[in-house]
Amino acid sequence: MIRFDRVSVTYRGGVHALRDLTLEIPDGQFVVMVGLSGAGKSTLIRAINGLVPITSGSVFVDDQDVARASGRELRRIRASVGMIFQGFNLVKRASVMDNVLMGRLHSTPGWRSLLGRWSAADLELGFEALERVGIVDKAWVRASDLSGGQQQRVGIARALAQQPHIILADEPVASLDPPTSHQVMRDLKRINEELGITTIVNLHFLDLARVYGDRVIGLRGGELVYDGTGAAADDGAFRDIYGRSLTAEDVLETPAA
Amino acid sequence: MTAPTPATGTPRPTRPRRSPFVALSLLAGVVFTLYCAAPRPLGIGVDLGAIASNLTRGREIIAQLLRPNFAFFPRTVTPLIETFQMAVVACLIGCAVGLPLAFLASRVTAPGRWTLTIDRWVLNVVRALPDLLYALIFVAAVGIGPLAGVLALIFFNIGVMAKLLSESTDAVDVGPVEAAMAVGASRTQMVRSAVFPQVLPNYVAYSLYIFELNIRASTVIGIVGAGGIGNVLNTQMKFFNFSNVALVVLELFLLVLLIELASVSLRRRLV
Repeated sequence: MIRFDRVSVTYRGGVHALRDLTLEIPDGQFVVMVGLSGAGKSTLIRAINGLVPITSGSVFVDDQDVARASGRELRRIRASVGMIFQGFNLVKRASVMDNVLMGRLHSTPGWRSLLGRWSAADLELGFEALERVGIVDKAWVRASDLSGGQQQRVGIARALAQQPHIILADEPVASLDPPTSHQVMRDLKRINEELGITTIVNLHFLDLARVYGDRVIGLRGGELVYDGTGAAADDGAFRDIYGRSLTAEDVLETPAA
Repeated sequence: MTAPTPATGTPRPTRPRRSPFVALSLLAGVVFTLYCAAPRPLGIGVDLGAIASNLTRGREIIAQLLRPNFAFFPRTVTPLIETFQMAVVACLIGCAVGLPLAFLASRVTAPGRWTLTIDRWVLNVVRALPDLLYALIFVAAVGIGPLAGVLALIFFNIGVMAKLLSESTDAVDVGPVEAAMAVGASRTQMVRSAVFPQVLPNYVAYSLYIFELNIRASTVIGIVGAGGIGNVLNTQMKFFNFSNVALVVLELFLLVLLIELASVSLRRRLV
């Protein structure tokens, strides 16, 4: 379970990214978070794994206080939280497998990671993760030789290799074309259902949020302005989130194929 | 200088006035160069006429330099091999030590502000000392011979590698760094898995470049007796045996050329 208790994040320079936010996400839920750029979506996600330090309040992951965790504890929390990025964040020169097995670093002894010699068990976990996103045949290809959609699947496989309880996805489809976006969203949803991994996805596109979100959270100016089911998130709700009426630019327009 | 307003459409914005800074600094550069070249005692006294009138004086030396004494070759073999061996050993150790120091000196990979500052200062000092001075120090410390040369080259190599590689490290894609932190990797693991693969082609290229530098530097460090072909070069110059000097220079030229060819093909395979 993830719990935000009156969390505020203020960046240097005085930008209030999150304001007094309280939120609870039970295990196994598939949550889609929407909001304009700068509404605090990325900050909220990065507060969960401690990549962004919070200014006040507390964030709990499985009852562990992220802000008060020691370096070692924080790394253990991060190990249980997989993360997927808008820009994929792969080492492009390295093989797909080396990228995926980055997800095993939390339980790899120092000498092994220095030599780059993965154990047979970790290698098998890497293959399983790639199998789950359907690109196991690309295991030894250079990451830069893959298409955008395939690269994002490597990103997902890297998160899966961690064997996480939680997956955070920060704008995972913002760099992809509409059909590929749906494929990636379906992958995430399927993984959530099959493995019961709590999943939080930041999205720009409202129609995707409606289709995939069991629960939709709307942020505006660092505050929670909507929290409900995807089905109930009507145009009025989105007006609250975006502070204006929907336009064609807010939707992806391609039906889930 | 306002642009004519077009018949239709929005008025065209006028180009902002260029700052005179560029033109002024160019002018300052030219003036400063003229000052440096001015007649003594103002400058060093660059006199093109003197070059022409004195050209014939060096005829004897140039004539000798153009006729390398190949009979001298047998006596250069052992020192040449020694220079090569010194270059290999120093390059290997220098590049190995330079690698972690480079990561400690980069904003992307340094564990803290203090390590960064201290390491950069140390590296600045290491690099500020010229190779000749290192050679002098180590000849004084461990005596004349290749050991002093190797030690001098190692320090020289550490400075060069750490500087070049830390700058490449500053420029890596930080996306994978964030990903590595997010999976719960330690800092060392992050550097190894997210940063090192990105700078590996640079590391290989710099290592080969440093090896080449070591061959060249052998001429300098040989002057103070730190072993290798430099000793031979120095002795032959002192005795005005310019045909012998010419042979050594030719050999060094070919050696550097060979290394360059080898490194080009090696880089193509590795990168």
